[in-house]
Amino acid sequence: MIRIERRLRQPRLLMVAVPVVSVAFAFGLIALVLLATGHDPGHTYGKLFRSAFGDAGALTSTFASATPLAFTGLAAAAAFRMNLFNIGAEGQLYFGVVGGVAAALLLSGAPGPVAIAGMCVGGAAFGALWALIPGVLRAFGRTNEIITSLMLNYVAGLLINYLIFDSHSYWRDTTSPSAAVFPQGKAVPDAALWPVATLTHAAGGVLLPLGLMVAAGVAVLLWGLYRHTRFGFELNVIADSPRAARYAGMRTRRKILAVMGLSGAIAGLGGAAQAGNFDHLLDPRGLQQQFYGYTGIVVAALARYNPFAVVVVAILLGGLKNAGFALQGADFPSGLVGVMQGIFLFCVLGGEILIRYRIRLGRQSHARGAPEPAA
Amino acid sequence: MNNSIAVVVAASAVLYGTPLLYAGLGELLAERAGVLNLGVQGMMLVGAAMGFWTVQRFHVGSPGALLAAVGVAALAGAAMALVHAFLVITLRASQIVSGLALTIFAGAAGLSSYLGNDLNLASNPARHQFGAIFPASAQHWPIVGPVLFGQNLLVYASWLCVLAVGLYLSRTRPGLNVRAVGESPAAADAMGINVTGYRYAHVLAGGAFAGVGGACFSLAITPQWVPGDEMIAGGAGWIAIALVIFAFWRPDLVLVGAYLFGAFAALPFTLQARGVTIAPELFQSLPYVMTVLVLVLVSSGVAKRRLGAPAALGLPYVREER
Amino acid sequence: MRGITKRFPGVVANDQVDFEAAEGEVHALLGENGAGKSTLSNILTGLYRADEGEVALYGRPVHFRSPRDALDAGIGMVHQHFRLVVPFTVAENVVLGDHRGEGRAFRLRPRAIERRVEELGERYGLRVDPRARIWQLSVGEQQRVEILKTLYRQARILILDEPTAVLTPQESEALFGTLRAMAAEGRTIVFISHKLNEVRAVADRVTVLRGGRSVVALAAAAATPQSLAALMVGREVAAPARIPAGSGPGKAALVLDGLCADGDRGSPAVREISLTVRAGEIVAVAGVAGNGQRELAETVTGMRFPTAGTIRVDGQPLSFGDPRAAIAAGIAHVPEDRLGTGLAPSLSIASNIVLKSYRSDTASRGPFLRHRSIARLTSDLIERYSVAAPGPSTPARQLSGGNLQKVVLAREFSGKPRVLVAASPTRGLDVGAIETVHAYLRDAAAKGLAILLISEDLDEILALADRIAVLYEGRIAGEVDCPGADVEELGLLMAGGVAA
Repeated sequence: MIRIERRLRQPRLLMVAVPVVSVAFAFGLIALVLLATGHDPGHTYGKLFRSAFGDAGALTSTFASATPLAFTGLAAAAAFRMNLFNIGAEGQLYFGVVGGVAAALLLSGAPGPVAIAGMCVGGAAFGALWALIPGVLRAFGRTNEIITSLMLNYVAGLLINYLIFDSHSYWRDTTSPSAAVFPQGKAVPDAALWPVATLTHAAGGVLLPLGLMVAAGVAVLLWGLYRHTRFGFELNVIADSPRAARYAGMRTRRKILAVMGLSGAIAGLGGAAQAGNFDHLLDPRGLQQQFYGYTGIVVAALARYNPFAVVVVAILLGGLKNAGFALQGADFPSGLVGVMQGIFLFCVLGGEILIRYRIRLGRQSHARGAPEPAA
Repeated sequence: MNNSIAVVVAASAVLYGTPLLYAGLGELLAERAGVLNLGVQGMMLVGAAMGFWTVQRFHVGSPGALLAAVGVAALAGAAMALVHAFLVITLRASQIVSGLALTIFAGAAGLSSYLGNDLNLASNPARHQFGAIFPASAQHWPIVGPVLFGQNLLVYASWLCVLAVGLYLSRTRPGLNVRAVGESPAAADAMGINVTGYRYAHVLAGGAFAGVGGACFSLAITPQWVPGDEMIAGGAGWIAIALVIFAFWRPDLVLVGAYLFGAFAALPFTLQARGVTIAPELFQSLPYVMTVLVLVLVSSGVAKRRLGAPAALGLPYVREER
Repeated sequence: MRGITKRFPGVVANDQVDFEAAEGEVHALLGENGAGKSTLSNILTGLYRADEGEVALYGRPVHFRSPRDALDAGIGMVHQHFRLVVPFTVAENVVLGDHRGEGRAFRLRPRAIERRVEELGERYGLRVDPRARIWQLSVGEQQRVEILKTLYRQARILILDEPTAVLTPQESEALFGTLRAMAAEGRTIVFISHKLNEVRAVADRVTVLRGGRSVVALAAAAATPQSLAALMVGREVAAPARIPAGSGPGKAALVLDGLCADGDRGSPAVREISLTVRAGEIVAVAGVAGNGQRELAETVTGMRFPTAGTIRVDGQPLSFGDPRAAIAAGIAHVPEDRLGTGLAPSLSIASNIVLKSYRSDTASRGPFLRHRSIARLTSDLIERYSVAAPGPSTPARQLSGGNLQKVVLAREFSGKPRVLVAASPTRGLDVGAIETVHAYLRDAAAKGLAILLISEDLDEILALADRIAVLYEGRIAGEVDCPGADVEELGLLMAGGVAA
């Protein structure tokens, strides 16, 4: 019989070993899925790895895919850690693009650093505002933030459609010849384009976008916030026991608002980075095809809400996404990326029981008990 | 008279509300046993794909194929739910994160789309579909004609399901046991009720209902399969979860809520068809905005005291722990 | 039960325990908190499975795989924390899980069950309205429902875990009568307790557990309280002597005037309470559980909003419903729920030590925490209060109950409070830890702290209090000066009667 016992101590080794084993197990499961549907797993995995990390060009695309995921992952991790399930990074990222592009357009003529800083502020502010809607509803109306933040993703998607397709908004390009054929967004001025660092030691040059570096900086700040500040201390207490937090006189409502705002700001910053580094304009269709926000949840959960791990996992999943995009076709059926992400998540989630509990295969006691001697 | 906007909206509210009703009933069963399943969206999408595959694949008479399709959709939904059940009941994973994982795994960019492409479901019209079952003359009766007699079999079956679930929960011994498991698993366990068994059974049943809810789209409302079906990917699964909160975990109110949300979903199409010229995005956002508003009203009012919510919802039950 | 062993991670709860009870007897299982009584009974009822040993009923070995097997074998249990489904009716709770008799039918027939519950209630003097919902019942009535549940399932062996903890002395007497009547019918009653007087009052025989081992089984009549206490604790125990509080009461530190508050379900739970606690005085609030004690403690400490009345600390009115204001005013709080309210379970001891003072200069500079200074403070307090813990970074949940309470007390006293609200400060602790906690409380009062002690344990109150206020249905039913308080009189007040 199987017995599950709570572990008194959680060895550090397990905290690392279990997720690694879980992911390996997931690769095994995915291979089974591939086999069952008539694909050769070895072949697929090989191609997958080459298209994700195989050469300089692959790494450049992987970093590009990883940038928004790092932001949405950090946004989800910041909120989930406090048991606030902000599923709205998707919509908050759209709003970040809207705010970032608006700032860039307003600051046209300004020097590069000013324009970039303006985009960051604009994107973060718009993302935070959009996230504060579910935040306020949760803090003051006790409304489930999972469903409200999710519903607002759809609203945000429709809103950016409206800005480009159905109105003559500030964001829509009405002058260029191609815009007359198909509605499109107004491009940001050249000064507002985010720079890209070239890692020269790699053959062909691997390009590292500024956005990914900003994300890494945000990860450091987030870690410091949770580990070294009074604010972070309060969040840790609230996450562990809301009753203990109230008992200690902490202001829970304000923390909910602050954390939702922070989470939205990070997602919004990701939107600004996406606009500054890659899209350069508000592209509603393109944004909505990517599921950046939802994938961010996968990133955060796989990273177990650790900000540094989020950046690493974002690069890995960015590679998967990038490879899935490059390989689409017979080798790599569409939908497999989602299936793989899901299986990774299931395995890591299921694996956590090994960290929290000890599983023993014990013999049943009476099976070996000698018969009682007759009295 | 039957062309008046109220009647048209009412008739489509029932049509569009039916998948929500099935999925909402399923979620209600799982939650009454104490398990929150946020993966409704994914279960619906897989149900839709597998239901559609069945009607394309089995060359039998229409009623047989459709019946089989509903059965397969239910099984597919239950299979998805089994993953969630294993993770949260046996492995005690977080119900919220596992549900989200299920949404991503089975959702629009995951298994449902993988299956649809692998089974070549796209760009073919359905070979069989659910249609109106009453004679045309009945459908022309004022008001009740289109609203009550113009519907397909799945709509009428859903009414039976509401009745059955309602009676099951309030009038039967297993129903009493489920409610006890959701309210106080420790009490239920001490009285010899198999908490794990009840939770598994109801999460699976919930998945089956969600699968049928998904099949409503691919077999009746828009009888085709498109990757990440717009209607479902448009949030039907999430609205179904909101519906359960709106209904205070009562099956009869799930019916009311489903048609209310169905009306919100139907309104944009109806108004657009009438040539209303305001930007369509504003109408399309109506169901989502209304869901948020309804949820706010419900949460801030009576539900402050968690009226109706099973007390053990979302919590794993572990007997031997100190 | 023979050679029962049960291990939990980190502890052996039962170590080769032997236990035997005969038909028709009331058999007491005596032991202090943590001696393994509950574990043993949970094994007998199929909730836990023993790692070793065997259970035999009426001479036949049995293997219970679930509570259902034990119920079918005729074993019923009344748990210390009731296993009732709160929104259900009495009848629904009684029929729950029954798969024989009335409960076999797929359809529920509430009428038939209600009639049966009424019959059983009549017969054993356990009257409750079968249609009432559990949350409408008093704690004593809820206990009757628990007993009815076992009778309905035709239990021949009935286990009661600390049943008198929630009863007035008079109610306990009535319960003893019921138990004796049931034993006279040939049932076996296993009565779990750590109170010596009760055991002698009701039991025919006694088995004593100590540290997870069965020490001895003997006839109750042959035992004296002293001999039982020595067996239970493993050493001679002096009868708890009253040590007079040192300085004598000073000026009024905490004054409640006409305080009212609602309970969780919105109905009034605290009604017009007026009470004064002077510096250096221990005022105890006695009463049966569920008469507004928890709500009173929460209201005074700011965790619950009062609906009327005033709270003054040293003459200054306190702003309502704000724990931070209460802390600032010098109200310390030892909550009933140690791990979860009083302490954040997964956080370190250090974090829990600065739970209330993290904004002070010792714990932080500007917005940043001073981890090293916090660790130093924690190590100091761990040593001063002799908390048995590996170090400041140990998570709170790894500590035993007594050490948890020491951490709470260390933190609360280090805040230099004027008033301490202590709710059930020794519940679930072993004798050694109880003595320690009592010593800290007495000591603090002697140094001029005003203590409001809220407890359901009359022995504790009689040992500590200078004055006793008895709470009944949210009101103060009477106030009694403590040295010289009469248990009978207190019991009457606790039951809502008028003191003579």
